[in-house]
Amino acid sequence: MSFLVQRSDVGEFRRRYRWLVIAVIAAFGILVGKLVQLQVLEVELHRAQARRNITGEIRLATTRGVIRDAYGKVLAANRPSYNVYVVPEVFDPKLWPTVAQLMALDDTESKVLSDRIIEAQAASSTKRSQQILLKVDVDRNVVAALKTHEDDLPGVQVVPVPVRYYPFGPIGAHLVGYMREIDPDTLSREEDQGYRAGDRIGAVGIERRWESYLRGERGLKKVVHWQRAHGNREDMEKRYLDEPRTVDPIPGRDITLTVDVELIQAIDRAMRGQLAGAVVVIDVRTGRILAELSKPSFDNNVVSGGEGTDAVREAFQKLYADPLKPTLDKTVSAAYPPGSTYKPFSALAGMAEHLISPSSHVDCHGGYEFGKRFFRCTGVHKTVDLYQAIVQSCNTFFYTLGEQIHIDRLAEIGLAFGLGVKTGVGVNPESRGRMPTRAWYTRHQKGAFRGGFTLLAAIGQGASTVTVMQLALAYAALANGGTLYQPQVVRSIETSDGTIVQEFPPRVRRILDIDPARLEFIHHALHGVVTEKKGTAYAQRLPEVDMSGKTGTAQVSHVTPKGVDPDRLWYFNRDHAWFAGYAPSESPEIAIVVLVEHGGGGGANAVPVGMRVVRDWQRLKAERLGAQADATQKSVSKGGTP
Amino acid sequence: MLGGGVRERLDWPLFLGVVFVAIAGVVNLYSATSPYMGIAGREGIADVYVSQVYWLVVGGLLAIVLSAIDYRFFERLAYILYACGIVALLLVWVLGADIRGSSRWIQLGSFAFQPSEFMKILLILAIARYLADEPKAEPRTLVDLAPPLLIMAVPTALVMAQPDLGTGVVYALTVFAMLAITKIRRSSLAWAFGSLGTVAFVMWKFGLRDYQRLRIQSFIDPEADKTGAGWHAFQSKTAIGDGGFLGSGYREGTQNQFGFLPDQFSDFPFAVFAEDWGFVGSLALLGLYCFLCIWAINVASQAKDRFGAAVAVGVGANLFWQVFFNVGMALGLVPVVGITLPLFSYGGSSVITTLSGFGLLMSISIRR
Repeated sequence: MSFLVQRSDVGEFRRRYRWLVIAVIAAFGILVGKLVQLQVLEVELHRAQARRNITGEIRLATTRGVIRDAYGKVLAANRPSYNVYVVPEVFDPKLWPTVAQLMALDDTESKVLSDRIIEAQAASSTKRSQQILLKVDVDRNVVAALKTHEDDLPGVQVVPVPVRYYPFGPIGAHLVGYMREIDPDTLSREEDQGYRAGDRIGAVGIERRWESYLRGERGLKKVVHWQRAHGNREDMEKRYLDEPRTVDPIPGRDITLTVDVELIQAIDRAMRGQLAGAVVVIDVRTGRILAELSKPSFDNNVVSGGEGTDAVREAFQKLYADPLKPTLDKTVSAAYPPGSTYKPFSALAGMAEHLISPSSHVDCHGGYEFGKRFFRCTGVHKTVDLYQAIVQSCNTFFYTLGEQIHIDRLAEIGLAFGLGVKTGVGVNPESRGRMPTRAWYTRHQKGAFRGGFTLLAAIGQGASTVTVMQLALAYAALANGGTLYQPQVVRSIETSDGTIVQEFPPRVRRILDIDPARLEFIHHALHGVVTEKKGTAYAQRLPEVDMSGKTGTAQVSHVTPKGVDPDRLWYFNRDHAWFAGYAPSESPEIAIVVLVEHGGGGGANAVPVGMRVVRDWQRLKAERLGAQADATQKSVSKGGTP
Repeated sequence: MLGGGVRERLDWPLFLGVVFVAIAGVVNLYSATSPYMGIAGREGIADVYVSQVYWLVVGGLLAIVLSAIDYRFFERLAYILYACGIVALLLVWVLGADIRGSSRWIQLGSFAFQPSEFMKILLILAIARYLADEPKAEPRTLVDLAPPLLIMAVPTALVMAQPDLGTGVVYALTVFAMLAITKIRRSSLAWAFGSLGTVAFVMWKFGLRDYQRLRIQSFIDPEADKTGAGWHAFQSKTAIGDGGFLGSGYREGTQNQFGFLPDQFSDFPFAVFAEDWGFVGSLALLGLYCFLCIWAINVASQAKDRFGAAVAVGVGANLFWQVFFNVGMALGLVPVVGITLPLFSYGGSSVITTLSGFGLLMSISIRR
């Protein structure tokens, strides 16, 4: 033991050991205290966080509701579309010829895309991992070919994207509408509605107004972020996922409209010779819209993104630059002076005030002198009574009335018929139009109110403006004996399996208090417009069409629209052509209003359109009655006598 | 020199305590590494529990040898061993393998050994030797404390420069605990703490690397940065809380199995254990560690000489600080500073150092 050190005295150390033990116990006490906090008191909090770490929710896509016309024709549906992407990082450029061949790319396309891939592969790491879009909406055969060779073509991705499909495209595009990607503003406003970035929502028309019905509800699937090393997947899911583990998506509601797409097609055909305008056809017995068209239109398949985002941008650039304003729904979103189509209402106002009667006479010398101004007429009509004043559209007669009547009376009758009031059709943003009163002029016109304003208001000029929809409803009210309907475009809402969830019966806005004799007189005069030799619609009538109506030629305020080529200015200075009427003349069923923007004279330009539309309506009606009769006959013969 | 009564003289509580902790450590390591099993490229990590068993065998044999040798043998060698340790630490500078921004290892053939781990024992021996050589009847003054503090300061500065903040802190605190069993003049104590505060301040300002400062900042306000530096602490607390009272079950803790615990086999084995075994298991484990710490003090109190008493306190203090910091870190009580949990964290140097310490303790206990 000699190599060992001598034992030293431990006396100095003795008294401290107890303190060390206390310190150790105290320190472990702190650790245990924290352990109690985490594992006993806060256990739920931490367990929830641990679950959130390992589980996730996958949102299951739903299908948007289908929009159909009154006869079941599909106006908006969904179709699968496939985009092809390539990830440069993973892709082997040697495989490009194969890919190009499978995708049936032509040489120039193939060259451009291959250059882009090679460029990206040479670039920084972030760019290399970003997908490059090769082609949108590829053919089904290409999808099948690429899917078959998926394993041999690393980095080539075929991604399904749901795309809204509009079988009729530009026919009724303003009414049906289109889709767009949700913008950040809407997203933050509607977050509680379950929208997410990248969602597509209705942008215009029915797609927009009925978005909440059409969109459906997304489903949900809870998942564990499982890897093989963790054990059995099903056990894990059973253990860590709350019930219900899946919530099935609810498809959007289908919507059936009141319109007949074949009638819209007929309108499109009838309007073929015209550049711009709008037509509305309404069932006078219900207020249901049977057809509406705004021209020029656009292909809602393209602007909804069916051909890729580049195509959307290009399309909108072109649409917004067009001076004919294709994106504007001219049935409701723009107001025009009604011109002579207002004369029946002026006549009713004058008769109600006992200022004129069917027997009133005026001598027309081609105009009317009032104050220091000469108000022109459409011609020299010599001696005209009220009937002839409507049939021949004599302004002088109505100027004479305008001198006697208070302007507010003219406005009141228009407002009663729903002119200058939003109709609430609920498709696209509505222009209100205007029925000017004396108060309105005082507020908006420089200088004092002048009597000339009333003269202009009597022939539907001056400050008066209406929308095509308003005028159609007003003529429907004339036709049906004074009932102003709420215009309706949605007939019913159904679930995806066809069960009707909600139906929309006709709604009456107001029943007008009009002397039936006076209304009968107006009917007679409107019939004369078409049937009398001197009638303004006579020249363009179709013998097989039975209808009544009133032409109008609305003068345009000569303000040059922005961005219009001076060489084309003559067009924008031309008058708007109107034709408003109903058919058949006895017991009317439909009201129709035709507006041809800058079409010139109403008789020559709007009447032919109206006539052809009504002719086609008659034909469609006959066909459908025939088909119905056939069907009844068949069922009768089947179940009938042996 | 041990004679026939080995069985009677063996310190059974110490022996069994260490064996239990070592077994629990390997069992836990198996759970901690199981998320890597069967994953291509990670087989090396999945197999560390096997290496750990080898190290335990090596360390165990060394401990048996150390317990058989009279500890006073090391009293003579203390300063020489200490000098060797310092040389090894300096060699790290020259030969050091750089792992995650700090060089702590020396490559010897196929092993990487970590001199800073072995230095823990060598430092304890050197301090104990000084305390044994310099008995004082009067309370110690600052001048009296200067030599041991200098002995501590050299290796502490060297490991902090690696940089390995955690080990440096453990060195310093272990030595403070050893000095705490002596009588120190009150004013000297005040001076000591005053200067320590100054040093800490200067360190914070100039001595710390950015990542170290970030870890400490994220400890002070962990919620501010859940994805960055505070992430580790946040996920560790979540794991422990997820264990609840009875635990998720062995190898069932999802925080560990799904890879939400970073460095779960070196820095956060306690979180793995607490998630698998819950409050009950954690309490038992902490109880075991607490027992070993107190038992070391008990051995010290019964030691026959100053050197033995000081070494026993040093071994106990070293164990205590490592457990306190590692578990405290997992619980979110102290910043994440990378201190290992003895016999739970994977690492040959750590296992051998820890078991050597217990071997010395056993030697002292047998010869009381």
